[in-house]
Amino acid sequence: MKYPKSILDKFRPSFEPGGKLSFFKPIFDALDYFLFLAPRTTKNPPFGRDPLDVKRYMSLVILGLVPSFLAALYFFGWRVLLILIVSYIAGGSVEVLFALIRKEEINEGFLVTGFIYPLILPPGIPLWMVAVGIVFGVFIGKEIFGGTGRNVFNPALIGRLFLALGYPAAMTGSWVKPGWLPWGKLLSSFTIGPPDAVTSASPLVLAKSGQFTPLFNLFVGNVSGSLGETSAIAILLGGLFLLIVGVASYRTVFSVLLSFVGFNVLLRLVAPSVVNPVLFNLLSGGILFGSFFMATDPVSSPVTQAGKWTYGIIIGLVTILIRSFSGFVEGMMFAILFGNICAPIIDEVIIRTKMRRYAREE
Amino acid sequence: MNPSVYPVAIFFAAIFTNNILLTNYLGMCSFLSVSREIKTSLGLGAAVIFVMAVTSALNWIVYEYILIPLDLTYLRYIVFIIVIAAFVQIVEMIIERVSETLYAALGIFLPLITVNCAILGASLFMVIRQYNFLSSFMYGFGSGIGWSIAILAMAGIRQKLKNAKIPRGLEGAGITLIITGMMALAFIGFTGMIKIS
Repeated sequence: MKYPKSILDKFRPSFEPGGKLSFFKPIFDALDYFLFLAPRTTKNPPFGRDPLDVKRYMSLVILGLVPSFLAALYFFGWRVLLILIVSYIAGGSVEVLFALIRKEEINEGFLVTGFIYPLILPPGIPLWMVAVGIVFGVFIGKEIFGGTGRNVFNPALIGRLFLALGYPAAMTGSWVKPGWLPWGKLLSSFTIGPPDAVTSASPLVLAKSGQFTPLFNLFVGNVSGSLGETSAIAILLGGLFLLIVGVASYRTVFSVLLSFVGFNVLLRLVAPSVVNPVLFNLLSGGILFGSFFMATDPVSSPVTQAGKWTYGIIIGLVTILIRSFSGFVEGMMFAILFGNICAPIIDEVIIRTKMRRYAREE
Repeated sequence: MNPSVYPVAIFFAAIFTNNILLTNYLGMCSFLSVSREIKTSLGLGAAVIFVMAVTSALNWIVYEYILIPLDLTYLRYIVFIIVIAAFVQIVEMIIERVSETLYAALGIFLPLITVNCAILGASLFMVIRQYNFLSSFMYGFGSGIGWSIAILAMAGIRQKLKNAKIPRGLEGAGITLIITGMMALAFIGFTGMIKIS
């Protein structure tokens, strides 16, 4: 959090009254307020020292997701925007309904869930299914636990899993061939309903039959797959931004990726015929998107630092195991849910061991 | 599959792909009532691992050398329950004599286990799937570990839920069942990884 803050602070004097750019102070303040809290001291308690609150946290995550969203627009066309709108309206109504019943403020936490969720859906998904998934995710995954900050599982993930297991045929049949240079699919027309039979198998499905998509395509993103997960470069752009501002925990991200790569190398030595090459595995499917944007969800991941490493290692291992050996081609969503399940007990064990150690030292 | 690795495969399958709690929903009653505290979950989990592993092996011997020769296999439900109950009673008595502390830690849970349907379930599955002795033991052992992992994770989650605002009608068993369902969703991912016939 410190690094971008110091850049802003360097320019602060020229925006103060009398400075060269004092005319633009409102814009500077808005940016400062958007990214951090303005450096004003509150007069009354409570005196919080951390400039990061839920609202700013959420805006930063959305900023980090923008590159992936733009990539999805480019490769899969304007229907992506439609999916996003459906997700916001359907999920938002559940959120508002609960806020009304509970007589609480409407929480901005939903803005992130409603933004991540479309990015993990296949491009050709029927719109009613988008609505069903997000309503289930927000209702069962979050609201019955008491709303934002109290949920045990990642709500977007619960919605996606519900669809994947409830409508398997529709979900796997909804992959769409992406557009490519010069305008992607930005100029082509789109349909409200699912696009007609232009389905194309995703790289992980093709890999099962021995066809490996070139790494360059996987890196840029003009491959079939869920909306936000295809373009590795867009994910890295947004993900690294989140790491630099300190919103995504680098411990979680690195441990997921390191354990994924490590176990991939090991398993490939044992069973080269079923385990895909490391770089191919890393760039395809949801591993990058999941590790940067979903595993790092602060509510459903462990709080302790050692806990985050353990959690990441579990997620990486389970992903590569499911991808290589189970009946599913992609294991990222199961793995993150599995991590969410283990998170509370991991924290508990780590806190107790630490307490015991301190007790012994005294 | 190579027959020599078969028991090991069964062991891991019993923990993950065929978790007795999350894929068969057996042993729910003690799972729901005991998962409130981590400490008690740990105690019950340890007791279940021990009893399940040993009774699977014992029941295999009883089934193979008593029930089949006498053509009494239709009595297996009753016989298995008796074996489990008798074993639990004997273990309880021995623990009481040998270690006072272990008895205090496990004492309450051992009688509970007699009525845990997961234990009987493991023995019955072993018969249906026609395991040999070693496989039966590994299956019971693995199922016990799988059950304990599930109850420990649930205890952790319920600990975290103490800060949650759950609607009054869903408190207790309601929310626990919903969470169990979501845990089962995650375990679906392991499907097909290891096959046990």
